[in-house]
Amino acid sequence: MSKTVSVTFVTADQQEKTVIGNVGDSMLELARQAGMEIDATCGGRGRCRSCRVKALSGAVPPPSVADTVQLGHEEVQERFRLSCQTKVIDDCTLLLAPPREETGHKILSTGRKFDEDEDFGLDSGILKTKITAKAPTEEHHQTSDIDEIISALEAKTSIKVSSTLRLEVLRKVPVALRKDFGELTVTTFNDEIIDVEPGDTSDKKYGIAFDIGTTSIVGSLMDLQTGEELATVGNVNPQAVYGGDLMSRIAYAMNDTKKLQTLRAKALNAVNDHIKAACKQAGVSTEHVYKVVVVGNTCMHHVFLGIDVTYLGLAPYAPSMQAPIVVPAGDLPLKAAPNARVCLLPVIAGFVGADTIACVLATRIYDSEEPRALVDIGTNGEVVMGRRGKLMACSAPAGPALEGGQIRHGMRGSVGAIEKVTIDDDLSFETIGDAPAIGICGSGLIDAIAKMLAAGVVDPSGRFRIKKRDDLPPALRDRLRNDAEGKAEFVLAWASESGKQEDITLTQTDLRQLQLAKGAIFSGIVTLQNVMKLPNEAFAEIMLCGGFGNYISIESSIDIRLLPDIPAEKVTYFGNAALLGAQMALLSETERDRARTLAGEIEHVALAAHPDFQDIFVDAMAFMEPAEA
Amino acid sequence: MTEPTLQIPEGWAERAPEGWDWTPLWEAVENGGHIFTDEFVQNSIDIGIDPRTILDDGLFPGFNLQGDRFSEQIIFIPEMLITARAMKAGLALIRPLLAAKAEKPLGVFVIGTVLGDMHDIGQSIVTIMLENAGFKIINLGTDVHPDKFIETAVAEGADLIGFSALLSTTVYYQKVTIEEFEKAGHRNKVKILIGGAPTTQEWADEIGADGWGRDAIAAVHLAKRLIAEPREAWA
Repeated sequence: MSKTVSVTFVTADQQEKTVIGNVGDSMLELARQAGMEIDATCGGRGRCRSCRVKALSGAVPPPSVADTVQLGHEEVQERFRLSCQTKVIDDCTLLLAPPREETGHKILSTGRKFDEDEDFGLDSGILKTKITAKAPTEEHHQTSDIDEIISALEAKTSIKVSSTLRLEVLRKVPVALRKDFGELTVTTFNDEIIDVEPGDTSDKKYGIAFDIGTTSIVGSLMDLQTGEELATVGNVNPQAVYGGDLMSRIAYAMNDTKKLQTLRAKALNAVNDHIKAACKQAGVSTEHVYKVVVVGNTCMHHVFLGIDVTYLGLAPYAPSMQAPIVVPAGDLPLKAAPNARVCLLPVIAGFVGADTIACVLATRIYDSEEPRALVDIGTNGEVVMGRRGKLMACSAPAGPALEGGQIRHGMRGSVGAIEKVTIDDDLSFETIGDAPAIGICGSGLIDAIAKMLAAGVVDPSGRFRIKKRDDLPPALRDRLRNDAEGKAEFVLAWASESGKQEDITLTQTDLRQLQLAKGAIFSGIVTLQNVMKLPNEAFAEIMLCGGFGNYISIESSIDIRLLPDIPAEKVTYFGNAALLGAQMALLSETERDRARTLAGEIEHVALAAHPDFQDIFVDAMAFMEPAEA
Repeated sequence: MTEPTLQIPEGWAERAPEGWDWTPLWEAVENGGHIFTDEFVQNSIDIGIDPRTILDDGLFPGFNLQGDRFSEQIIFIPEMLITARAMKAGLALIRPLLAAKAEKPLGVFVIGTVLGDMHDIGQSIVTIMLENAGFKIINLGTDVHPDKFIETAVAEGADLIGFSALLSTTVYYQKVTIEEFEKAGHRNKVKILIGGAPTTQEWADEIGADGWGRDAIAAVHLAKRLIAEPREAWA
């Protein structure tokens, strides 16, 4: 039998957990067992540094090649290791690094108010009706409590109660009918009774819309009576510890029901917590949350429902279901909103999910006379293009680089992230929260590359112009250098001005990662343009959706060929359209029904299977249009 | 790391006609000028330079230079692809002449992207590199069923087989395909190489592959090494 060891994990804010493991167990696996959340952006393959830990005490094995490559000699000597690659050999105490800095994390909630929108009617499908019903009095020809309630309800409204009541509702009936002397409130969702309560609570009906993204989960609590937003909640998706991108997450849960359940529990717990937090914030009872609308990409959608995602990861990446579905909260279970009906919007394809349908709803691209496109920039970039009567969609696997993942000094958009870069004779930058720079986020990366291209630090093929560095102004020349291994890198922030004890740099490998990422999204757009025969001039508008899209510089995005070359004023920020679409489906059954229709109409284009895709993708990797050969 | 430099073949001048200069061809291959390469190689053939000499002295220097740069991440997929395309243009003219001189390929290499995976950009670079290096390549494309690999290996008497997988979800089928070769009793007749973005040496060891290539250049070195190793003969 192998020797057991005691491993203690410590976070930067001094939280501690100890687990007993065996010699040879992976540090990352033990941290997960301890309930400590370590990001493993690359899915635990030793390809990034997000899971690094520092051994404060106890023996750790000598560094592996992956440790040295990712962390560098200095950090390795300071006893940093990649927890995914390192096995425990003895009792030890490990400091988790970097701290998960989600304070000030910029996650967008909605961008638009509904009261400004004339076309939008409130019809959430949730009706609360105060009725007066008498408890049965006849002992001979007995009626039942529920029959009395139904007949009182049908007498007062146009509802024809159709389905059988669920057990949890039936159990409330006797008390509800008698407690307030026959005055009670019946809640219906379309023609189904979903709750009965004593007294008059007809003005209390709420709902929550959720966008479960690969990276973050955001929710919005709404008053179904007035359409008002009462609270917003959001945080990173706790599944991120099992891989930053969808494929890593699918690979984790592949052919393994237990692991699928682990992912599912992470999402359910987060959603439960968010519901409680939102209701607390707004001072409303979770019992009065009757409708929950959930959107998310197909993988998130399937995991949330507990449907095997194995085959989403294999060609032809077919979803197990496409149709919209309504699930009673108790069946999931979503314990925080026990009376709710949980509505999932339909999905289009394996990688074009309910979140995309929600974006289509929110942007109303389906109603546009002129050609438009919506682009959701994320780990998977979705593109929907077209006009009324003809819409096409595709999904481009960009990976996490554009959100700062797998970039040496990359980070999410939180305090201390470089988000804006200017270059003249020297480089200057702005950080989120004006804090000392500790890394660079996606919008900063896009900006930095655009400015580096313009300044001649990088050539259009994505290569540092290290040979021509003497042509640069002196201050920039000093920033462009070879690292210890002789690879070119560019200093964005010197150690002296950073919040770390090291220079914050952009490496050649970082640039390559970004080229792959932006090339994927750009080629998704170009492929749809080719299929639909829409040249750049044809577009009335390109709408950027998603929390990330709102922070990027449009000019810089066009300069580096992340977006097509159209006048910058035709590119607009739409905000979190997926959440907005979910809110619309929450407040309006008409909209929820529209989602069903749209899902059947939008044509899916599979990029990898498209004959021109390889050429388009190769071309799209360059930062500038290649000169004619 | 030192910046890769052009390796000028030793004694090239003795193998070329008086006053001959390969420099334009080296540069054309390096910069991906496939039309120029095609014309230059045709001209070299026409004036009677030995095809093996054209290949070694004229085409490989620029190609190897870009290959080394690719390996060091100095250049990227697009630049490597245009160089590979120029190389291919030259090779198309040379190969029939080499075959006519009964020069044998280094070995038969069956390559494909595994079941469930539609990606082929990396795989197509590897294919061109291996072809250029002198292997006979049978490319099965993408989403290749294990049975198809086995069938082809048997029919062609393959020496080497390469399984590409570009997704964290499909590397699983590299493992499955190796197991199928074992079940079919052919595992020891071929050397199996794996590659693709999510793969690592550890994964190759775990699933019992004979080797792993970090990139296309590494794959060529690996293939050249493995072809020399003993294996059971095809019946």
